[in-house]
Amino acid sequence: MLISLNWLKLGLDKIDISDDELVKLIGARLVEVEEVIDQTHKYDKIYVAQVKFCEKIPDTHLTLCLIDDGGKAEDVERNKDGYVQVMCGAPNVHQDMFVAWIAPGAIVPASVHDAEPFKISMRKMLKKYDSYGMIAAADELDLGDDHEGIIELNPEGLQAGMPFAKAFVDLNDKILDIENKSLTHRPDTFGLLGFRREVAGILGQKFTSPDWYLNPNVDFKNSSDVKLEIEIDEKLCPRYTAIVFEPTGKEYSPYFSNQATLLARAGMRSIDPIVDATNMNMLLSGQPLHAFDYDKFVAVGGSATPKIIVRAAKKGEKLTLLDGKEIEMNEDDIVITSNNVPVALAGAMGGANTAIDENTKRVILESATFSLYNLRKTQMAHGIFSEAITRFTKGQPAGQTLPVALRFAREVADYLKPVGLFDSQKTAPVAEKVELPLAQLNSLLGTDFDAATAQKILQNVEFDVKTQGDKLIATVPFWRTDIHIPEDLIEEIGRLSGYDNIAPILPLHGTADPNVMFTLKTALRHHLSARGANEVLTYSFVHGDLMKKVGQDTDNSYEIVNSISPDLQHIRQSIVPSLLDKSYANLRAGHEKFALFEMNQVYPRTNGVDEDGVPKSTYQLGFVVVDQAQKSDFYLAKKYVQSILDNFGVEYKIKPFLDAKDKSNTYYESKRSANIETVDGTLIGHVGEIKQRILREFKLPVPTAAFEIDLQLLLELQGASAKDFSFSQYPSVARDLTISVPLDRRAGEIEARIRETLSQRRLVNRVKCTSIYQAEGADTKNISFHLDFARTDKTLEKAEIQAIMKTLEKIK
Amino acid sequence: MPSISELKAQLKQLNAEYAKIKDMPAEKRADFGKELNVKKQKIIQQIADAENAAQDVDIVPLDITASRDINADAPEFLTADFGSQHPLMTELDRVIGIYQSMGFDIMESVQLDDEYHMFDSLNFAKGHPARDGYDTFRTKEGFIPPAHTSTMQHRVLKAYKHKLDEGKIIAVAVPGRVYRNEDVDATHEHTFYQCEGVYVSETCTLGNMLGILREFFEKYYGQKLNIKTQPGYFPFTEPSLEFLIEKPAALGGKGKGGDWLEMLGCGMIHPNVLKMAGIDPTKYQGFAWGGGIDRLVMLRYGLGDVRNFESAKLDFLKEFAC
Repeated sequence: MLISLNWLKLGLDKIDISDDELVKLIGARLVEVEEVIDQTHKYDKIYVAQVKFCEKIPDTHLTLCLIDDGGKAEDVERNKDGYVQVMCGAPNVHQDMFVAWIAPGAIVPASVHDAEPFKISMRKMLKKYDSYGMIAAADELDLGDDHEGIIELNPEGLQAGMPFAKAFVDLNDKILDIENKSLTHRPDTFGLLGFRREVAGILGQKFTSPDWYLNPNVDFKNSSDVKLEIEIDEKLCPRYTAIVFEPTGKEYSPYFSNQATLLARAGMRSIDPIVDATNMNMLLSGQPLHAFDYDKFVAVGGSATPKIIVRAAKKGEKLTLLDGKEIEMNEDDIVITSNNVPVALAGAMGGANTAIDENTKRVILESATFSLYNLRKTQMAHGIFSEAITRFTKGQPAGQTLPVALRFAREVADYLKPVGLFDSQKTAPVAEKVELPLAQLNSLLGTDFDAATAQKILQNVEFDVKTQGDKLIATVPFWRTDIHIPEDLIEEIGRLSGYDNIAPILPLHGTADPNVMFTLKTALRHHLSARGANEVLTYSFVHGDLMKKVGQDTDNSYEIVNSISPDLQHIRQSIVPSLLDKSYANLRAGHEKFALFEMNQVYPRTNGVDEDGVPKSTYQLGFVVVDQAQKSDFYLAKKYVQSILDNFGVEYKIKPFLDAKDKSNTYYESKRSANIETVDGTLIGHVGEIKQRILREFKLPVPTAAFEIDLQLLLELQGASAKDFSFSQYPSVARDLTISVPLDRRAGEIEARIRETLSQRRLVNRVKCTSIYQAEGADTKNISFHLDFARTDKTLEKAEIQAIMKTLEKIK
Repeated sequence: MPSISELKAQLKQLNAEYAKIKDMPAEKRADFGKELNVKKQKIIQQIADAENAAQDVDIVPLDITASRDINADAPEFLTADFGSQHPLMTELDRVIGIYQSMGFDIMESVQLDDEYHMFDSLNFAKGHPARDGYDTFRTKEGFIPPAHTSTMQHRVLKAYKHKLDEGKIIAVAVPGRVYRNEDVDATHEHTFYQCEGVYVSETCTLGNMLGILREFFEKYYGQKLNIKTQPGYFPFTEPSLEFLIEKPAALGGKGKGGDWLEMLGCGMIHPNVLKMAGIDPTKYQGFAWGGGIDRLVMLRYGLGDVRNFESAKLDFLKEFAC
């Protein structure tokens, strides 16, 4: 939203702070000002000038003019009367008219933001006529789109040579670009009047709305020729006010209006006096207006008793809009009808069947307010984002439809005569009252306002406030549709007086519980990165094709209906596929050996929902290790898994892989993978090599190994197995042991047997497998171990050692 | 199970059946064609399964209990130098650590939620345009990957309500991953991280909120800071504010002032939000805030492109080697 600072200041008392400070205060107490567009030099060296002499140059479109600039311009040649010669190509140039003259040396305002601003100089035209400066059209002045002719100024109060900028609300202006998202609940501030009221409140000034706004006065009588009834559904349309006008027959003024400059500053364009008046009133009050052709309206309805009926549209009901597009409405749309025949899509756009055109005689002006909820749906369904609907979707107050319509009537009185006023509201609603105990105000904000100060702050923005002991009783003005509870008043008082005046005070309170999941994740992050792995984050959303690639069923994933792209259409079931997906790019970037891990939530549908009906997540650690040299096998991944589980004191078992166990783990090669389980068989995770055909699809080396661990389980299980800290103060014996076993005998079981044997003899021991060897063609393998063991009560004797080794050698 | 060659023969036969369509009565053609297609898909799947199974025969099973493969060296961890921790996650740890030191419990946000937690429980009127501002994703079932960590406020209030009954206060920080349906560019991500704070007691004030927030950022940047606020609008707080800090020295602030960073949105918890969680708003009051984590990291390291965070690019991550 663009707001002219000069226009804003017009209705305020004198402001004794700088513009910068004012903008800062607006930012701190009303709304964020995104940008201040400084136009204070945009109209430098542009003057009001009077055309003193005109002569058409035959066979050209040019007119030779002599203009009076009051002698203001420098570096120009003047004739004996002091006039300056300028050539003009506009058809409407004529003697005695007042124009905007861009003097040599000035920048054409429309070009100030161009890469090369257009600087005006003396030009020689038709090889013989000197032309100084330029008589400007609206578009060149950046005050409109019109290039049909030059603008003509209303001579009243003007004299040649005054700065052009001063012919209107000063064009040497600053435009505030307002971030209006935070004003969603403040329809009143979408009109300059409401914005100005807030600024007064911020400055501590007492604001009084103009009389036309507070006390609308009807100064005409309904003509008996004009009939109109109004029937509304108050839920959809709280109030509908209409004024019927007939033309006075007077021609439009040729003069360029002050309004056109104000519209331009708000980013809009002047069209004609009637349309401009609707837009100006909207800018001023936030109340959008719409005009219908009355006679067309009556004809469309086909009844002698014309009736505006506002109702919900029927599904499939059709209407051709002003822009020529035919739309199909639905039950959420609100439709304005003439005796039930649609004539406008409420709040959005009028229909072609009642559009104003050059033959229009009588018009109906609509000033109404609609349900913002419905209009929001209309906006979405039909993609209409106009200045009007933006305001309607904030919920414009019903109290202002009449005053704004009447103001419009006065503004266009030269051209339109009001002949009938019709209003759906017969009695004004009772204003809401909100009570605020002073103690509540101060206890919520941490302030010590007294009643009089708080009262004044609210009165400044036109709340009617009484005090009753230590209580404020505020009558809410009709335009503050957002004020209902004491907290709303607290916000007003805190905000208008400045939150920054509230002292920040640190409260004292209790201690926090340790956060176990974060502590665990932090520890894992350290653990894995210290072992050369890289923590990554990847999207929660994946492509359905990625799931299919790794064999996952897309039906086991939640699907996003409004995804940005197919790449982000499914919520992932597990993390490893995302890591596989990110591996190739890293290989290609020259990383030959790396490990990626991520700790995050995943949502396989099989998890079901919690007691609130919300999907349950699995908190998962996913890990993939890639090695171009083909060394990323099952055993490497397992080494990582074991280092984690040992480090966190988890009791676990490595069990054969069963891929039927859950739907998400479809990518492990079952013959070269394992389940990680607790001693009682609960699945903690999987570790293994990824299926070869999947690796080929991802262009990854074979083998590539991965694992995943359920972090919630890890959290519950950690610390369950007390680490074995037993040691002996007697010297330990180091021995190597090789056992020859059949090929299908499991190394882990042999190792366990060795440990068991040593432990049974109460020996403190360490057992480490040092090699597994199979001679070529042999049907056995040799498993070698390095052993350290010791007694805790005395030094082991030779004979005892021999006996131990003998027992161990018998293990098969 | 038929062999691959048998299956391929079946497929060929089936393909020949399609020729019959043109001799069929028109009304039967569609059904016949559909039936053929189903059969065809089934055979194609069987062939693929059989081919995969044939490949799998070559796969050598291994001894999952061993520490290494036969005749192979023992596996070695990757060199520690290669390792790295994700900067967003280490930053979140720092943030959480400070909140914990300030007495805040931690409750991580969910990553898939419903309309009730995302909007209804936060006092967003049904169908209110304010819901549009969050650009939420939705699943077919109507679930929402949350667009703000405020989605946890209702859960936090319910989960910690017992503390109020015990005469204690609620002070909880809620870190989490959030999602917005917006186009990605150097400064916008559809996936990012936030941290929420929720504080409820009998006496806490807006002044206390400013005190806590200033304390947090002073600890975070290790220096005294100037703060200021702007009015904001959130349906779940009243009053609602935006909280700004003056650019700290660590980020190149020269201490001359005038350079402000918008850090988070905050406000006093709306009585309706407390009420919906079963907390009596006439007895208790509270405040809440939420802000982005990604931006803190970008500012800290002077990073220019938010897209790197979820890219899993080692070239980027290794800059943050541990």
